[in-house]
Amino acid sequence: MTTLSIVMLTIAAWGQRLVGAFLIGPWLTKRPTLTRAAGLIPAAVVMAVIVQLTLAKGRDLVIDERLAGMIVAAALVWRRAPFIVVVISAAIVTAGLRALGG
Amino acid sequence: MGSAADTGPISAAGKRWRCWRRQGKHVAAGGQGLALRRGQGPDRMTDPVQPVTAPRLSRIDFATMAITFFSLGVTLQVVLIDSGASSTRAFVASAVIFSATSQFAYLAVREGGGGDWAAIAAGWVVATRFGILAVSLSPKLPKGFSRRAAAALNAFDPNVAVAVQQPTPKLVEREFWRTTAGMMLGWFAGIAAGTLLGNFLGDTQRWGLDAVFPAALLAIIGNLLRQRDGFIAGVTGAIICLVLLPFIPAGLPIILSVLGVAIALTAVRQPKRNQPVKPAA
Repeated sequence: MTTLSIVMLTIAAWGQRLVGAFLIGPWLTKRPTLTRAAGLIPAAVVMAVIVQLTLAKGRDLVIDERLAGMIVAAALVWRRAPFIVVVISAAIVTAGLRALGG
Repeated sequence: MGSAADTGPISAAGKRWRCWRRQGKHVAAGGQGLALRRGQGPDRMTDPVQPVTAPRLSRIDFATMAITFFSLGVTLQVVLIDSGASSTRAFVASAVIFSATSQFAYLAVREGGGGDWAAIAAGWVVATRFGILAVSLSPKLPKGFSRRAAAALNAFDPNVAVAVQQPTPKLVEREFWRTTAGMMLGWFAGIAAGTLLGNFLGDTQRWGLDAVFPAALLAIIGNLLRQRDGFIAGVTGAIICLVLLPFIPAGLPIILSVLGVAIALTAVRQPKRNQPVKPAA
């Protein structure tokens, strides 16, 4: 990570909380639709990040062992497995398939 | 839970607590500031008027929280070091940013070939989550700018989820900080351990660590995806990114995926936020 990004992301993570609590909060809570929309942003954006990490190689779409790991992870998240179980299973499935595939 | 009978002991304990606080201030003003320490108030463990409340953080919850943040910290450090960051830089970044999702989003764009600013923008968008968490936490805390600011700055998913279920502002604040302590403990131990581990692993692809990165993110937003509108927003966001990825500069597909929110809002007009309570019989 570059120094610029560390500084900017620190401001993003801490600053947006203060803005949320003291500036936007009182205004936002009077507008239920906007509040809902804001609450849904992470779902959309984080899923986009997940898709890119699972299916992209540079700017090409590829299907490889990562997808199998993610399918297992998704099933475990659905069953409310603990974080550490999800993460380790995804790694084992992906690494295992890679080892088998040579 | 939440019946009228429950509120009696809560307010009684609340009154005693406030009373003790006032006494403490009085003693402090009298020049014996250090004479009355925290531990000398009514003992929570033995106090017979224990508040009966909504979900509190048990020891097991505390441990689970710490272990979750520990594993998240380890994962993030290993991925960061794998991306080429030096140990010091990776540790400092995670210690000051303290936001695995924003850091993951940043890295994802960089690994996709995006520029620094595109990656930072993705990290910002992802960090809006914290602003929203602070919005829902803040009004439930006791009044006072500094206390609210301190709590808002530490708003994460688990501590806000536990805190907002508490019946009184005092309990909201106490449970919030207890949960936060568990998270902090896990996080800092985790990034320290991850920094060491990251230097030992060598070829991380062989260990399947590139799959750990998206799996961790999925586990973080799992609860959001369980809501109907959250699920639709997530799926459309994913489709938008997938379709645009080969055609536009890296970073943009992730930022444009926010449009999935608009689709989710139109698709689910009346969200069932309050799920019907399980039938009593």
